[in-house]
Amino acid sequence: MPMVTRPAFLPGLPNWSRKTFFALALAAICFAFAFPVLWLILTSLRPESGVYYVHRGTEFTLGNFKEVLGQERIVEAFINSAVISTLATVFSLLVTVSSGYMLSRFTGPAARMWFGTIYVFRCVPYISWVLPLYFVVQSWGIYDTYVGLLLPHIAVHICFFSWLMKGFFDGIDPSMEYAAMIDGCSRWGAFIRVAIPSALPAISALAVLCWLFTWNEFLFALILTGNRVPVITVVMAQFVTEMGLHWNLMAATAVMALLPAFLIALFGQKYVIRGLRI
Amino acid sequence: MFGEQQRFVLLLIAPAALLMLLFQVVPIVIGANASFRDWALYNPKKTWIGFDHYAAVITDPAFLYVVLPNTFLFMVLSVAGALVTGLALALLLNRPFRGQKLVQTILLVPLMVAPVVAAIMIRWIFNDQFGIANVVLEAIGLEGQPWLVQRWSAFCIILLTDIWLWTPWFTLLLLAGLQSLPKEPFEAAAIDGTTTWRVFRYLTLPMLRPVIVVCVVIRAIDAFRTFDIVWTLTGGGPGRSTELFSLYAYVLAFLNLDLGRGSAAAIVGGLIILVLGVVMYRLVDRIAKA
Repeated sequence: MPMVTRPAFLPGLPNWSRKTFFALALAAICFAFAFPVLWLILTSLRPESGVYYVHRGTEFTLGNFKEVLGQERIVEAFINSAVISTLATVFSLLVTVSSGYMLSRFTGPAARMWFGTIYVFRCVPYISWVLPLYFVVQSWGIYDTYVGLLLPHIAVHICFFSWLMKGFFDGIDPSMEYAAMIDGCSRWGAFIRVAIPSALPAISALAVLCWLFTWNEFLFALILTGNRVPVITVVMAQFVTEMGLHWNLMAATAVMALLPAFLIALFGQKYVIRGLRI
Repeated sequence: MFGEQQRFVLLLIAPAALLMLLFQVVPIVIGANASFRDWALYNPKKTWIGFDHYAAVITDPAFLYVVLPNTFLFMVLSVAGALVTGLALALLLNRPFRGQKLVQTILLVPLMVAPVVAAIMIRWIFNDQFGIANVVLEAIGLEGQPWLVQRWSAFCIILLTDIWLWTPWFTLLLLAGLQSLPKEPFEAAAIDGTTTWRVFRYLTLPMLRPVIVVCVVIRAIDAFRTFDIVWTLTGGGPGRSTELFSLYAYVLAFLNLDLGRGSAAAIVGGLIILVLGVVMYRLVDRIAKA
């Protein structure tokens, strides 16, 4: 058996220069990807007087964060966003795991029709149904409430996540479930006790994605909420116009909005990468 | 009335179907109804006016010559840019090297950034007076630009922000695809001493094609309806020159307070993307089966 080596990267150059080039290119790419976030963090740490010359001066302060956290509306927005994201994740998973399971395990007209429906609704631009949803939600009396934002969020995840869940369940051999059913498990038993535990990595990946999507979502919140349920993305977008000159406060708010998403993604990255390997 | 299996199938999709009915189907029907009526505030009767709104939208020069070309240009360039960068990074991450985990984490950073936050960052970087972009330009003796108040520079910045945001998404899915490819063909190619480029062109690319096509279709549909970064970066300005389709419908409905016209615009856009979606789905099917 001959030794198998990968084809060389940039063949024809001496080894050390290839390595240096590779390292430099990597560093440049990482820098390009991280720069906007780094710059934002740097800006958030500068005092009001230094913010227009972020690249000069060495004064740093945590005062911006203190000032932002002193504003009731922002704190409220953070709490609302967190609660809505968490609830939306739980309910979305309940709904989409079963719908994805159905798509994967059953064939026939019902499954085909459901898949067609999901695909078509996935294509419908948000604006086409969120625009009139404003009136629907108002006439049901849930405009500007948790429920009024939560339910559309769950609805929007159905299409994409059912599709992904179908892919995950397709990759899991159904013979275990059949065996369980022969041993006396009901269909629900086979689904809940056998299929779901073996899809757990994929489900955790979806949970991470779902939480991030909801936390980052803007258009729904902009249209479906007013003053009673401020959400962090909407509050920030209003800031850009209202406090256009206070870039240090703006940056501090943005950094705080990034933080939970970072933590969730950092701990969830493993699951996402493993779960998406269909 | 139903067999045990039918009941199981129906119960599995019932909650999802109910939610979709209430929060997608019902609004779409109401929106369709509104698009045929005069919904202006001073007209409480909401008179039925047929296709007037549709006619107004598809003959609106702003829609025809600015919004539609912008939307399509944006869709094509954003998907192409993110695909090429994402694929390159996925190939890079697929070979082992020291610090690979760290690089991977850094490259996935934009995935966690809310589009609104990204837009705020970019707006600050390209601020015409104090943004670092102009500071750097002036330091090397070039003139600073008012980036976000010129049409094409604003458009390019929106585009770059979008590519920055979505490249990791491509990287993630393509990397997953790369890692699930069979090893044998690559080993055979290595034994034969095939060059890197030929391995990529004749092995990696064809085997990865189904994953690439699915990614492109999903992303293209999403790019068509981009809203948040445009809203936060330029608000459609200068003038209305960077408006994309979602923004156009939003402005009609909520700033001009003409829900009828806005719904008509939203439906026109929805129909366009639906046709595109069906065509692309056929394409995926054919490529996946080939």
